[in-house]
Amino acid sequence: MTVHQKNLRTERVQHALFLAAAALLIALGFAFWGTLGWGALRFFLRHGLNRTILGLRYHPIRGQFGLLPFIIGSLAVTLIATVLAYPLALSVAITATMVLPRRWLSGIRQAVASLAAIPSVIFGWWGLAMVVPLVRNLGGGTGFSVAAAGMVLAAMIVPTLSLLAIHAAMRVPERWVEGSLALGATPDQTLGRVVLRSIRAPLVEAGIVAVGRALGETMAVQMVIGGQTFMPRSVFAPGSTLTSEILNDIGLLPPGALGHHVLDVMALLLLLAMYGLVLLVERIGGREVG
Amino acid sequence: MDNEAPHINVTQLSVAYGDQWVLKDVSMTVPGGQVLAVIGPSGCGKSTLLRVFNRLVDRVAGVHIKGQVRVGDFEVIGDHVDLVELRQKVGMVFQHPNPFPFSVFDNVAYGPRLQGIKNSTRLRILVENSLKQASLWDEVRGKLRRPASSLSGGQQQRLCIARALAVSPQVLLMDEPTSALDPLSTAKIEELVLTLKGQYTVILVTHNLQQAARVSDFTAFFREGHLVELGPTKEVFTTPRQLATEEFLTGRYE
Ligand SMILES: Nc1ncnc2c1ncn2[C@@H]1O[C@H](COP(=O)(O)OP(=O)(O)O)[C@@H](O)[C@H]1O
Ligand SMILES: [Mg+2]
Repeated sequence: MTVHQKNLRTERVQHALFLAAAALLIALGFAFWGTLGWGALRFFLRHGLNRTILGLRYHPIRGQFGLLPFIIGSLAVTLIATVLAYPLALSVAITATMVLPRRWLSGIRQAVASLAAIPSVIFGWWGLAMVVPLVRNLGGGTGFSVAAAGMVLAAMIVPTLSLLAIHAAMRVPERWVEGSLALGATPDQTLGRVVLRSIRAPLVEAGIVAVGRALGETMAVQMVIGGQTFMPRSVFAPGSTLTSEILNDIGLLPPGALGHHVLDVMALLLLLAMYGLVLLVERIGGREVG
Repeated sequence: MDNEAPHINVTQLSVAYGDQWVLKDVSMTVPGGQVLAVIGPSGCGKSTLLRVFNRLVDRVAGVHIKGQVRVGDFEVIGDHVDLVELRQKVGMVFQHPNPFPFSVFDNVAYGPRLQGIKNSTRLRILVENSLKQASLWDEVRGKLRRPASSLSGGQQQRLCIARALAVSPQVLLMDEPTSALDPLSTAKIEELVLTLKGQYTVILVTHNLQQAARVSDFTAFFREGHLVELGPTKEVFTTPRQLATEEFLTGRYE
């Protein structure tokens, strides 16, 4: 066998391996969606929308599968987290890149990156110690609440969001800033009309990534939200999210148990929401600065 | 608004970055409506001089300015100078074309919008006039909504000139505006500078000695932060008074 033939053979083997790996991944993906989708579909057909995603009562042992409180819970904590975290992260990014001396930037990035690396269970723990008592003082009750979960999530996503915003702001070249100032713009006008405007797309993208993280987070939420299954009457009342409820019920509803497939429905809802976010980022991403 | 192009008076101007003095005791007068070319080896302080005139040097931490600069009656140096007003009077064109990542129209309309002009007819007229003044109108009419980045380098530089003119400045600072451009685009910008003469006081920093000779009325030669010589361009180029100037002009310097 010549060297050339040998190379050809190795190449063919390699290609076959890659192909097999890709096929396996795609097959796994289909199997995953298929199982979830099939379980969820049968569940919907049996119980109807009104008694699942539009239902208000959740008591799987009694055959009640209303998921609306969890859907609202997920949306509420995500909204609170994003609304609190986004302006904060934006200020961090602007201060780090535009206000403070340039030589501090890498230090700030390191510090923020180290915060982004904190596991979510630590944030939950911090939430128990600090946020739950704070909410108890602010809104009464036990403090375990939708508001506490939102605040913990906010703290959790601020570092990631800040890093993304810093990266976006670093893409704004100095010559645009100087060009704007030289035309008689104030620093504030330059910030709004050139800097932020030119990085709108990556900033929106960062926001979507943050929403995704908040929506998907389980542990930190479960530790402070209070785990109540009916519709929270206010943000200071306890509640549940889709993720925290799945975590809660996994032991309660093992495969084969009556109502196990309600877990499929919740998982599918989360998956669809996250997939939607990924698609959004894909659509915005790839667009150049400006 | 007075359209009279103002003269510029510089009195004993010294500038330091930290403890490094890069302009040393510079005094000079630029007559209104004329083009002054500023030449000299790189690092001699030409850009710093321009950036004092619109106070863009303020961006450098630890900068010190001593002395006096007046644009017409307007005091440029001091702690309480209205930088917005100054920069509306004194426009700048940079070495590398730096259009914003917006449309052609939005680039030119940027300055007027800062001044609160919102009326779309007024903006359109202003943009058109500025582009005409910058000899770019014929090339971009009908393409005003295209991104500025779709223009060629030379067109982008003329767009930046239009953008500066749209603010109705009295002085135009140009820091090696053609050093990044091809000869044809360079020629267009030189022609343009000649048409701006009279209406604006222009200070043109250039590495290109022929360019200085072609477009300027006066030439200032700087070396190591000192103003060595300033005079009518013809005289500076044919009968320089200083040996250093002659050496620089004949390429025996650097
Ligand atoms: N931002 C700055 N910080 C410190 N030193 C600077 C800065 N900008 C320029 N310099 C120094 O000042 C001197 C003059 O620079 P500059 O005005 O850019 O000269 P030119 O435009 O003639 O090349 C140079 O020695 C340069 O290294
Ligand atoms: Mg320079």
